[in-house]
Amino acid sequence: MNIAYFPGCSVHSMAKEYDRSARLVCNDLGVHLEEVTDWNCCGATAAHSVDHALTLELNGRNLAAVSRMGFDKVTTPCAGCFNRMKTVGLELKSSQLVKRDIPDVMHLLQFFTEQIGLDKITASVVKSARGLKLAAYYGCLITRPRKITGFDDPEQPTSMDRILQAIGAETVKWSHKAECCGGGFAASETSIIIDLAGQVLEAARQAGAQAIVVACPMCQANLDTRQKNIEEERGIIYGLPIIYFTQLIALAFGHSRREAGLSRLLVSPLPLLSRSGLA
Amino acid sequence: MHSDYRPMRLDEIDDSLQKEIRDNCGVDVEMCMECGKCTGGCSNGHVFDYTPRKIIQMVKLNAEDSLMNMDALWICLSCHLCSDRCPSGIDTPRILDYMREKAYRKGITTRPKITLFHELMLSSVRKSGRISELPLLLKFNWKTRQYMKDAFLGLKMLLKGKISFHSPGIKDRERIRYLFTKSRIKGGARQ
Repeated sequence: MNIAYFPGCSVHSMAKEYDRSARLVCNDLGVHLEEVTDWNCCGATAAHSVDHALTLELNGRNLAAVSRMGFDKVTTPCAGCFNRMKTVGLELKSSQLVKRDIPDVMHLLQFFTEQIGLDKITASVVKSARGLKLAAYYGCLITRPRKITGFDDPEQPTSMDRILQAIGAETVKWSHKAECCGGGFAASETSIIIDLAGQVLEAARQAGAQAIVVACPMCQANLDTRQKNIEEERGIIYGLPIIYFTQLIALAFGHSRREAGLSRLLVSPLPLLSRSGLA
Repeated sequence: MHSDYRPMRLDEIDDSLQKEIRDNCGVDVEMCMECGKCTGGCSNGHVFDYTPRKIIQMVKLNAEDSLMNMDALWICLSCHLCSDRCPSGIDTPRILDYMREKAYRKGITTRPKITLFHELMLSSVRKSGRISELPLLLKFNWKTRQYMKDAFLGLKMLLKGKISFHSPGIKDRERIRYLFTKSRIKGGARQ
């Protein structure tokens, strides 16, 4: 199976381990991710915040590139890019400004659950993640707003839980699955991140999770890089590793900790994962 | 008691903003039944000056000035909880985007740092087609005179290879510059 792949700016720099593990796992599953030719930034929070027309232009160019490659679907690992591209795609379609077909946009999580399928993932597991108690964290933009994303449940999503269970892990029931981590304000208004990401960490701790599993580079960065500040602010040591779901699948498929890029995470998942025998 | 007091009558209020929002954003605030689910769910509502339910009412009351000068405009996270839970399907983040853009064009902001960050981010996209995180963060800290902000964290991330000074841009930069020709974003000159 081939599918167009839109990595996005974060995945090419801060979240390289997400990109590499996604490609690795897809390769194992017989899927070729074809990078969108000369893709540009989706405009992120900045463009839709101050210039709506620019968001349409930037994402329109990417969607046109996907069509030119001959694909009718594109997948992206970033929740922000996913939401921007999908929103713009639907807006262009309804405005009828664009006559050609607009490709369907899927988040990587959706691609894994709907196109690849859990059976195929289970069949490739060589090292079970049994014994791990994980909190699957979806954040806002993968499932919301439902009329745009059309995927999973926006209040109690389960797709990532099912993937993690398919590789043998246990997932906790918790309250902050789909709450916001603070998104793009990490640098410009850090106090918002300390507040919101702190609530997510606290909820995961109370649910008894050993780690939080994510599917978005922004969620990962906010929960991981700001964890020290949050611990100082709240006076609680969390020590919760924030791991990409593709990294865990890569380990379960028998890849080494090096290939999964575990050392790139700030809160090290190595003690936890070596104790459970996964890495 | 004020002797000239009389209750406000909604049918006497100018509804031009409501119509403007309906025509430009495709959002009809008339559908709001004031149930408050938007405000109850709002991720950042506890620090907003005006909460989502009030914002919808302000559109109905034609309170354009208050809407353009409110702090909530800049610290809304666009997490879409409000619009997702709205029984009437009102897209509040779209209204905020629209009002923010209007405020920005008039040079109004309550959070200059957030506005500057948006501008720097887009000037990176204008230049290379993509965002390069480290130069963006350095420029932001420089312009806001927070020279040591996150210095230790940044160094740690640099050593882990999480961020780097160079990230490749796209090939067709002319096309990107063309896409920006109609844009009125300033090149991060504010502050």
